[in-house]
Amino acid sequence: MALVAMNLACREETLQDFMKNAARPMGLIARLALWLASAGLLLMTAFVSAQVFMRYVMNDSIVWSEPAAIILMGWFIFLGAAVGIREGYHLSFDVLLYFLPTNAKLWLHSVSDLIVGTFGLGMLWFGAQLMLSSWNVILPSLGISGAFDFLPLVAGGILIAIFSLERLIRRAAGLPTARFGETELEEG
Amino acid sequence: EVTLKSSDTHPDGYPTVEAVKHMGKLLEERTDGRLCVEVFHSAQLGQEKDTIEQTKFGVIDLNRVSTGPFNNLVEETKVISLPYVFKSVDHMHTVMDGPIGDEILEAFVPHGYVGLAFFDGGSRSFYNKVKPIKSIDDLAGMKVRVMQSDIFVDMMTALGANATPMPYGEVYSAIQTGVIDGAENNWPSFESSGHYEVAGYYTLDQHLIVPEVLVMSKISWDKLSADDQAAVRQAARDSVPVMRDLWVAREKASEEKVRAAGVEIVEEIDKAPFMAAMDSVYEKHVTSDKLKDLVSRIRATD
Amino acid sequence: MEVWVLFGTFVFLLLIGTPVAFCLGAASLATVLYLGMPPVIVFQRLNSGVSVYALMAIPFFIFAGELMVRGDIARRLVALAGAMVGHLRGGLGQVNIAASVLFGGISGSAAADATAIGGLMIPQMKKKGYDVDYGVNVTVVSSIIALMLPPSHNMIIYSISAGGRLSIADLFTAGIIPGLLLAITLMITAWFVAKKRGYPTEKFPGWSAFGLLFFNAIPGILLIAIIFGGVRSGIFTASESSCIAAVYALLVTTLAYRTMHWPQFVAATRAAVRTTAMVLLVIGSAASFGWLLAFLRIPAELVAMMKDLSSNPIVILLLINLILLMLGTFMDMSPLIVITTPIFLPVATAFGIDPVHFGVILVLNLGIGLCTPPVGTILFVGCAVGRISVWQAIRTIWPFYGAAFATLMLVTYVPFLSLWLPSLFH
Ligand code: NA
Ligand code: NA
Repeated sequence: MALVAMNLACREETLQDFMKNAARPMGLIARLALWLASAGLLLMTAFVSAQVFMRYVMNDSIVWSEPAAIILMGWFIFLGAAVGIREGYHLSFDVLLYFLPTNAKLWLHSVSDLIVGTFGLGMLWFGAQLMLSSWNVILPSLGISGAFDFLPLVAGGILIAIFSLERLIRRAAGLPTARFGETELEEG
Repeated sequence: EVTLKSSDTHPDGYPTVEAVKHMGKLLEERTDGRLCVEVFHSAQLGQEKDTIEQTKFGVIDLNRVSTGPFNNLVEETKVISLPYVFKSVDHMHTVMDGPIGDEILEAFVPHGYVGLAFFDGGSRSFYNKVKPIKSIDDLAGMKVRVMQSDIFVDMMTALGANATPMPYGEVYSAIQTGVIDGAENNWPSFESSGHYEVAGYYTLDQHLIVPEVLVMSKISWDKLSADDQAAVRQAARDSVPVMRDLWVAREKASEEKVRAAGVEIVEEIDKAPFMAAMDSVYEKHVTSDKLKDLVSRIRATD
Repeated sequence: MEVWVLFGTFVFLLLIGTPVAFCLGAASLATVLYLGMPPVIVFQRLNSGVSVYALMAIPFFIFAGELMVRGDIARRLVALAGAMVGHLRGGLGQVNIAASVLFGGISGSAAADATAIGGLMIPQMKKKGYDVDYGVNVTVVSSIIALMLPPSHNMIIYSISAGGRLSIADLFTAGIIPGLLLAITLMITAWFVAKKRGYPTEKFPGWSAFGLLFFNAIPGILLIAIIFGGVRSGIFTASESSCIAAVYALLVTTLAYRTMHWPQFVAATRAAVRTTAMVLLVIGSAASFGWLLAFLRIPAELVAMMKDLSSNPIVILLLINLILLMLGTFMDMSPLIVITTPIFLPVATAFGIDPVHFGVILVLNLGIGLCTPPVGTILFVGCAVGRISVWQAIRTIWPFYGAAFATLMLVTYVPFLSLWLPSLFH
């Protein structure tokens, strides 16, 4: 019995070490995603102001600025949202949780992460289905495949699933996870 | 008992909405209540691009949409979105009621839809707040809002205007403040959008006469027996004359309202220079032999 | 039964602390699976829910707000407000409210407003002997003004939720008088509370100092003029104005104020991305939820139910207001706008209420919800800035709630307040 417990404790330790090591590459992925998302916001700003300038000053509208801005917006929303899972900045309703003991709270957090991760997988799987079904559609003004419309959904879905899994394993290993207003994650 | 869910972006009471309701009534009578139709109007289930996907997945059974969103999917629909391809509304009716119309409806099947019938979308003409457009030269440099579609953008460019795609909801205030000079649409939309309040000149050049289409999801279609399929197709066909009567009445009511508001209407216009300017558009978009053949057959129809 | 699956899953997940966006998404998914429909519909709605051109205004205004806070525009506006109304009874409380009018008109975000102005004002108020709860109360409730004054991105969310047919310019204009009315009722309340508690006034700094403060704040004030002037003179559309606001804030802070350097710029961009992603993901998921509501015909049934209840628009409006206030106490604003608009707007229009007027009521009402526990984002921000507990804040906030509620009733039953200004432009 004691042996099993020791074994478990030992395994928990290796899991902890493993997840601590994993925090660095995961942090890099999150940081990369946030950089890409920021670039998307800046590019969108550039496109829309260019459209205003070209239309008003040059009297020559840019026809692709609107659809391009919309696709960029999809990129930074889904990437930003995925990073939000890791950093725990999504809005949630915590009132009931305050009245529960820590243990129950952690269990409920895990249920939440499981649901979020599953939804992320759904974004991946059904997003891919949507990509396939619009593969042959050519987007007006942009001239690219309609699949690009759904690519941000798929990319965001993958990241959401990965980051939720990280949270689940970290919690199982007894490590802290970030949550709106609670813990800050150590910079990986 | 099957209730077919049908989507329409137009509001309740609009001719296409009423036509699909009428189709449902016919269907219910003819199948002893086995099949009926429930219409979700006013874009309750989403914009056209979205409901087209939903129809493909069988979430929505019937869908009344413009043909524009299909242009890049079902090649044959491109031909009816070409400017000045029809000589008049009557010509369009003749073509779409005949073998060419059937052929285009048939072309939807490989893409997951069953084309049931064509409805009227009226004829689109230019309106603006600057001056009456009496010749092609008046369009030069004018900022005109068009739908986000390659053919329409190229058409405006070929006419010498500055094609400006913009979401429909922003057009009213954009014309009012002068972000754009004008837009283009049919009588009912010109009136119901209130654009006539801010754009005082309407030129009936009828550059686009694009019929709209009623499609059924292939998934829902395959669930029906052969008899029921025939009943659906027939009821859809029978709703077309009803739709056309309603359309004429609606168009007339809108026209009266717009005229009463004092909008200056340019009725007589020499379309020849406009049509001549379209050569480049046809060259760019009518590329396959299939499309070339369709265009020449439409032109040959009286 | 489907309805129970939809709402039951949603409430359950909400209670166990799942992020709101995923409560909406997962509840929609559960319902779609229950109905035996292809799940792909949920994800298609999510994607098209965020692929809406007018939504662009949200990231742009949030970005502009971040640039202004980090680039010192906000601080200069607060200083100007100090010179303008500091000499009134409860001086710094009045300054706090006036600063919300000046800054709120630019940022359009109540949370940004509470952070920026609260961060500047509450420490000052503490130093001058004001009780902290008073500072927090004033900061929190006056932040609602930012939701009413243009450019409020919540008005844009409402316009989209209403089917995109409502003019954003009209909604912006409609919020101005109600927003200023709220400012006035709050200033009166602040005056009475200050008098009772014996708070001091500030000395007017003199015209030359006022002139200097005004001069320093000009670029910030000009932004309002540029947005309005640009939209009204046809240089850009209402949604494009948000992008111009961000570009302008960037230019002013880098070229005129020289306060914006690379680290501040990176921080502002990243903060804007985080906030935007959080808000817009909720809006996208709510598109799935809203689609199911329409598909299950829930709004239509509700209209019928309300019509059975009463045929009097005054009663109906009161009823809608009470339901919204209740919902607002436990949910955040943007998801509530997207969820409740398709439900209540048809009810309101069925009773002859103008959709633009209804939008103003909705935003003001849900804005009050942001200040009330258990879930009140602005209340949390205000308490965090003032370092007091929520309980300490709400014990004395009642007069301000009262003022906000009175304004809500006025705005609800006097449509003229909302509709007169936009009518001038037609
Ligand atoms: Na304030
Ligand atoms: Na609240």
